[in-house]
Amino acid sequence: MAETDDKTGPPVTLIEPIDMTKLDPNFRKEIQNMPDGDEVNACFACSTCTAACPIANQWKYKPHQLIRMILLGMREEVLSSREIWECLTCFQCQERCPQGVRVTDIIFDLRDLASEEGKIPDAVKFLAKELLEKGQLYVVTADWEREDLDLEPEVPGLSTDEFKEILKRTRTGKIAGGE
Amino acid sequence: MPTYNLYMGCSVPANYPNYEAATLKVAEKLGMELQYMEGVACCGSPNLRAIDYFGWLLVNARTLAIGEKNGHDIVTPCNGCFAALKDVWYHLKHNEEDLKKVNEELKKSGLELKCNVRVRHVVEAMYTDIGIVAIKERITKPLDGVRIAIHYGCHLLRPKDVTEFTPEVLDELLRATGATVVEYPLWKQCCGATVLPVNEDLAVRLAHDKLKSMKDAEAEFAMVVCPACGNQLDLQQFGIKESYGVEFNLPVLFYPQILALAMGMSEDEVGLGMNRVPADPILCHFTSE
Ligand code: SF4
Ligand code: SF4
Repeated sequence: MAETDDKTGPPVTLIEPIDMTKLDPNFRKEIQNMPDGDEVNACFACSTCTAACPIANQWKYKPHQLIRMILLGMREEVLSSREIWECLTCFQCQERCPQGVRVTDIIFDLRDLASEEGKIPDAVKFLAKELLEKGQLYVVTADWEREDLDLEPEVPGLSTDEFKEILKRTRTGKIAGGE
Repeated sequence: MPTYNLYMGCSVPANYPNYEAATLKVAEKLGMELQYMEGVACCGSPNLRAIDYFGWLLVNARTLAIGEKNGHDIVTPCNGCFAALKDVWYHLKHNEEDLKKVNEELKKSGLELKCNVRVRHVVEAMYTDIGIVAIKERITKPLDGVRIAIHYGCHLLRPKDVTEFTPEVLDELLRATGATVVEYPLWKQCCGATVLPVNEDLAVRLAHDKLKSMKDAEAEFAMVVCPACGNQLDLQQFGIKESYGVEFNLPVLFYPQILALAMGMSEDEVGLGMNRVPADPILCHFTSE
């Protein structure tokens, strides 16, 4: 066991050491004050959420780590992570959390925070533009198909103007307009 | 006759008019009056919730307020719309401050939300208001023995405190047609539709896993109650063929289509030709009688 006697390098740890100077102690509060963050402090790091997640295997930051990172204040890493956008929002983690942490809802809140800082994947930005321009994600094109099925060719009651007006004034307007 | 505010959303009318038509026809036979809501648009999808929480609250609060005016429940055939309306309702019901903010905006167009309106999936209204007994009475061509795997959809089932929906509702509705509900290990798993814009490979993998699990449990076809899930499980079978070289040939039908067929309606009436994977097993079942 000669190599364990060699004490020149830093101690071997299971995880990468965290740079304490980069932590944001207010991050936890920030999340707590968001619509679904009340219970985040109750997390006891059991990893049940990760066990329930169908895609955690391909992530660097697993769901339980994301929650831990919030509590530690790793704001920058969390908000820039691809994980928060790849999450399926399938709510399997949230359903099983024994501590009532709203894991999926918190991921939605994280996206909202990231969006405030303009950190939005291009594909999602594109959808914001679509919503703003068309007032809906899908527009009826094949109206003959509808008629064949005894439906009105145009969707009854549909009116997109107010929808577009609202989103022009909220953050969507900034996201879609700001390029 | 029970009357409802029908919130159709944007995906069903544009992508799945067959689902829309089957829903209307079945509802009529069941004695449900579905009235398209006036002056409404899209729910914004989960993407809007992600990037613009307040905008998402506003557009959906507006829909809720329009529905609230006439006192009828809002029903929708789309899990995405269902989740958006339920989520916003739940949040505003429990957050007075945000409700006030939202109402200040809604006031400008003469609307006010009190959060008295009730939102349900349209098949949930069939279950609770019409009931299994009455539905069974209208079955003329029972689907005895046909093995069907249900994909419930994440946003229909979870989070339960918000959606207030239990899987048994769909199980019982399907059994009412005489079909056998197939149990399969991945019944809770996501279809992958939500991740399609940011990671297509992952979306395809999820659809593949889901369909494989159904097929391994010997399902003859799959049932959905959402256009996004339908798209992902039906159309994506072609994507799976490309990436995995696997052909599942598992037809995917919307519940009202299945119910309509069991009530004796024709395949044309429910637009079965628009389902991408040919729905032969169900048709063979009828012709072999
Ligand atoms: S399941 Fe809940 S308590 Fe356990 S690690 Fe995940 S968030 Fe924390
Ligand atoms: S909601 Fe997201 S993090 Fe939670 S289990 Fe589903 S994919 Fe994983």
